Amino acid sequence: MPLTRTPTKTTSRPAAHAPAGDTLLRADHVQLGYWTPRGFNLAVGDASFEVAPREKVIVIGPSGCGKSTLLKAIAGFITPTGGTISVSGRTSLEPGPDRAVVFQEFDQLFPWRTVLDNVAYPLRVNGRSRRDALARAQEYVELAGLAHAADRYPHQLSGGMKQRVAIARALALEPAILLMDEPFGSLDAITRQRLQAELNRIVDQTHVTLLFVTHSIEEALVLGDRVVVLGNSPSNVIEIVDVRDLGGPETVEYGQMRGHLRDLLAVDKPIADDEEEEVLDGDGS
Amino acid sequence: MATAASSIPVARPRAVGWKRLPVWVRRAIIFAALIAIWQAYVSFRDVNPLLFASPWDTATTFWDGLRDGTLTKPTKTTLLLLMEGIGIGILVAAVLTAFATLTDVGEDLLTLLTSILNPLPGVAVLPLAMLWFGINDKAILFVIANATIWPIAINISTGFKTANPTLVSVGRNIGLSRVRQITDVLAPAALPYAISGLKTAWAFAWRTIIAAELVFGVAGSEGGLGNYINNARLYFLTPQVFAGLVAIAILGVVFETVFGVLERRTIVRWGMKTS
Ligand SMILES: Nc1ncnc2c1ncn2[C@@H]1O[C@H](COP(=O)(O)OP(=O)(O)OP(=O)(O)O)[C@@H](O)[C@H]1O
Ligand SMILES: [Mg+2]
Repeated sequence: MPLTRTPTKTTSRPAAHAPAGDTLLRADHVQLGYWTPRGFNLAVGDASFEVAPREKVIVIGPSGCGKSTLLKAIAGFITPTGGTISVSGRTSLEPGPDRAVVFQEFDQLFPWRTVLDNVAYPLRVNGRSRRDALARAQEYVELAGLAHAADRYPHQLSGGMKQRVAIARALALEPAILLMDEPFGSLDAITRQRLQAELNRIVDQTHVTLLFVTHSIEEALVLGDRVVVLGNSPSNVIEIVDVRDLGGPETVEYGQMRGHLRDLLAVDKPIADDEEEEVLDGDGS
Repeated sequence: MATAASSIPVARPRAVGWKRLPVWVRRAIIFAALIAIWQAYVSFRDVNPLLFASPWDTATTFWDGLRDGTLTKPTKTTLLLLMEGIGIGILVAAVLTAFATLTDVGEDLLTLLTSILNPLPGVAVLPLAMLWFGINDKAILFVIANATIWPIAINISTGFKTANPTLVSVGRNIGLSRVRQITDVLAPAALPYAISGLKTAWAFAWRTIIAAELVFGVAGSEGGLGNYINNARLYFLTPQVFAGLVAIAILGVVFETVFGVLERRTIVRWGMKTS
């Protein structure tokens, strides 16, 4: 594995504007939208937040608030109409493997490549030798717990396995930041929980910096160091909360934080106060 | 790889004896029965041998044709011409598709040309080809190329257009160049379409060349299979007419099989086509 140091867990909440040296990703008054036949459609009004190296930041918000749009902008697929996004100091962002993306869709694997090859191929593209790429891919496939399925084709995998391959593929690229857009959104609750635990383990092992989009409060609390809460579209950042030192789901703080996030997300759009249902939006898209 | 077909449990309350036989045995039995009926018809109905050849005569003529080259040579001529024509067709189709993928004008041009020329039966342009090129191989090549360009071009460009956008995004994300995006993502993604285009093109070209050869008689120095059959008809060598047809049928089956293997090794194996 690339790094063996344990992640430095600061107890103090990072300042809203941390010094530049400590920032890997900075979104500064980012405005995003789409041109439609009926004119410009604003999706994200004004979003500012930062991600420090090795931090796990969750972006949460109601459906349609622009989470995916924001992630796509950071990945370089769309350009902000206002404000700036800078990653490692660079502001003109083309899509690239330094910001590896794990998408929500299960069909993000190349169907004509085996699991191992799906992970090795991007490494080859980025200049590694065949042997090197395969050895490295093997390592990450094992890390994702898929050694037994390395020779299978994607159509022979379950949805959860496919997402694990996608995570292995992204991690093997050793991105400066790993971008994930509701990768577990279409999975059943049990698989989802298992993969969340798995992701936590993998992220802690590789010390990768993570920006993770979800609309599940539970998922945000399980995975995140900090949670960036977006409001309804055209969205602003309503609040950034630190959740890294929360106890487990049984603790009082956890319950309070969950309640707080629920209140935040219910500001504009009241939702039924269902104790078990953490997903804000029924259809998982 | 375990095939899906063999692992599907077929729960039949009463397994009929016939259905329990392997497919190839069933086919072989039906085939043998048809041959027997054919032979019986010739033997017992006292048919005019100038109009109808028995399976036995057909088989011996076929065999002799293979040994002395009277059948293999025209077959080879036809196949070479066919390959050349399809090769030209694929090249032109590739250029057209690339043009259509890269530019909007190209896309409109391809759509228009395809909608006009694709429905045209291949042999229909033969008279024109004869006017332009004379009665020779070039005319036939032209006709075959025309018959193959359109189904291939339309299929590949559909394949490109319907390629999964998530995969295209993944391609960009991992840093693929535009060229590699086409060769490594779009091309394999379009393979199911490409193969089905190739199958259609092959079927069109095969029918077209036989028809063209029948019309042409001897094209250039050597005649092809269609010419072989037509000559045989002229001299009332009915077993040769039959042997020529058998050769055509066998080649058809061979190519079906080749395409089947190609599909099983690629798109079926990758779960991009169920079969
Ligand atoms: N390609 C597009 N063209 C036009 N409008 C779009 C496009 N993609 C998204 N939008 C609009 O932008 C807004 C934000 O969409 P986005 O997909 O970012 O939401 P989201 O927060 O990811 O939602 P979800 O949680 O449902 O995935 C929505 O109003 C949506 O209708
Ligand atoms: Mg989304």
